[in-house]
Amino acid sequence: MNFLERLRPAVVNGLRELRANKIRSLLSMSGIILGVASLVAMVTVVQGMVGNFRQFVDAMGGIEKITVDKQPLPKEQEHLAELSEGITMRDVDRLRRTVPLVRNISPEARVGFEKLAFDGRETSTYVNGVTADYLPVAKRWVDPGQGRFISDLDVLNLNDVIVLGSAVVPDLFPPNVDPVGQVVKVRGRRFTVIGILNNIEGSGMQIRSASSRGSGGSWRWRNSGVFIPVSTALTKFNGNDRLSGLGLRIADPDQLRDAVEQTERTLLAAHKGLRDFSITTNEQTLEDFRKTEVAFKLSLGGVAGISLFVGGIGIMNVMLASINERIREIGVRKAVGARGSDLFLQFLAEAAVVSVVGGLLGLLVSTGIVGVMNYILTQALPTGAVATLDWAIMAQGLAFSVVIGLVAGVYPALRAARLDPIEALRHE
Amino acid sequence: MTSLISIRGLRKTYRMGDENVHALAGVDLDFAAGEFVAILGPSGSGKSTLMHILGFMDTPSEGSIVFEGEEVARLGADRRAWYRSNRVGFVFQSFNLLPRLTVLENVALPLLYRERPDAEAAAAAARVALERVGMSHRLDHRPGQLSGGERQRVAIARAIVGSPAIIFADEPTGNLDVRNVDLVLDLLGSLIQEGITVVLVTHDLSVAERARRVITMRAGLVQEDRQR
Repeated sequence: MNFLERLRPAVVNGLRELRANKIRSLLSMSGIILGVASLVAMVTVVQGMVGNFRQFVDAMGGIEKITVDKQPLPKEQEHLAELSEGITMRDVDRLRRTVPLVRNISPEARVGFEKLAFDGRETSTYVNGVTADYLPVAKRWVDPGQGRFISDLDVLNLNDVIVLGSAVVPDLFPPNVDPVGQVVKVRGRRFTVIGILNNIEGSGMQIRSASSRGSGGSWRWRNSGVFIPVSTALTKFNGNDRLSGLGLRIADPDQLRDAVEQTERTLLAAHKGLRDFSITTNEQTLEDFRKTEVAFKLSLGGVAGISLFVGGIGIMNVMLASINERIREIGVRKAVGARGSDLFLQFLAEAAVVSVVGGLLGLLVSTGIVGVMNYILTQALPTGAVATLDWAIMAQGLAFSVVIGLVAGVYPALRAARLDPIEALRHE
Repeated sequence: MTSLISIRGLRKTYRMGDENVHALAGVDLDFAAGEFVAILGPSGSGKSTLMHILGFMDTPSEGSIVFEGEEVARLGADRRAWYRSNRVGFVFQSFNLLPRLTVLENVALPLLYRERPDAEAAAAAARVALERVGMSHRLDHRPGQLSGGERQRVAIARAIVGSPAIIFADEPTGNLDVRNVDLVLDLLGSLIQEGITVVLVTHDLSVAERARRVITMRAGLVQEDRQR
């Protein structure tokens, strides 16, 4: 209570000093201004980046996705190549039975980059054989009114049905034709279009290429491709039972490690110990992103930290100079009854006022920096803003500057508090 | 008259290089409430040291000071600050007003260093004190806008705003012209009617003559103590 009563006049006094020495105050604040500005801009941009990473990982199936791919045997097993059966639908059954942590298994059989034809129009895209489980594993869906996805029955019956990626539609069909129910030709085989996958519109990690402009933007790679039943792909195109890979979706991301281990053991046992498959997760990708994030934070944080440190020294320097100029004032204040603690508080409050005002100016500058960075990034990348300032970060930046100001103010304030009043009054 | 301050065997020794300097070499004095006293002496006589010790700005090396019945010779810094803001006022040769504060703020300053500062009450008291010294028409001026005589009157207002028991005026007329010298000395002299003890510290005999009691100091000792 008493402390607050003493604080208010000290702050008022600090503002008065600030006003009386505008140029000097601004100079002493410059370090804090730049420090806070770079700190806030840095955290904002890094956070924006990390947000984009997350979105990217999510678009790749998220952290709860495990990918099993076929791979050539390692050197020491090469002589056993004839024993390798590759990844097959039998593996899918085994995993279903032995790895309860896995919720969905999506077998995938790549047919290849094929030409699709409809009524004289043509386009080329990837053709994949999948099952109904593709949707939950890839986190995709078919929007209402856009037909349906491949069903278990389609797989069982080797149906000649096809689901199109949204980016394929405008290349193959005139705008006034509803693709669902139409028949397209793939390698001369007639497939009935039963649905269109949802369109992914991302604002996240941008993968730029010359062809990425236009519909779907840079997410075109996710929206292209067509899907047929895996059984159809294997028997009618590939002519063998080897899958190109499996996508697994686990129920609980915390059990990713266990699920990977169980999957690996099951497959190794089923494959007679042959390592003709690889298992990857997005964990590694996410981990790489995290490392990048940490590296960014450390390097940029270092820069911000140094400028805040320099800012603190600037404040201390100016406070010491200011005290030297006001030794007589300190003497007078002591003579009329000020205690050491009163003067300590007065000068500490002055340092705090300088740092708060500096911090606020720094926030102002940081909005400018973030704005410019966003402008540059959106010029380079066609869609989506990259970073937005949020209040929590700005509050942190301000708090940082206040702490710096207080720390920097302690020594000068102590000097003022300890001045001998008689000596101080004699000072010219 | 009742005794306000009673000092016995007061000594103050400074160490200057290898030598001990005895600024006060055993002083015994009594000051009554409402007395108008001048302490006269050349520089180095110990009069300033005596004023600083009696004004709670410094502590003696030896001896006893009884102030309003309490032994105060060995008080800590915060306690001495309390006495400065509550019981003592200072008037300086160079006025020592704070240039950034207005006249009113300068005068109210001592009250803001008390335990329970009340800005409004302090401003009200400052107005009364400025009225008392005839400066109530300059409340919002800065010290730089005032003449020397006016500044010293403001300084006197600051000294009396906290109803002190004693005021020390250290060469209060040293920077003033003749007309203002009389005005300021009359003003100081009139304060004893309010029961305030006024101590003029000066090396100027003509100034000292205005007091009713003149204490002459030399080499850290009281040489003469005469009532007029």
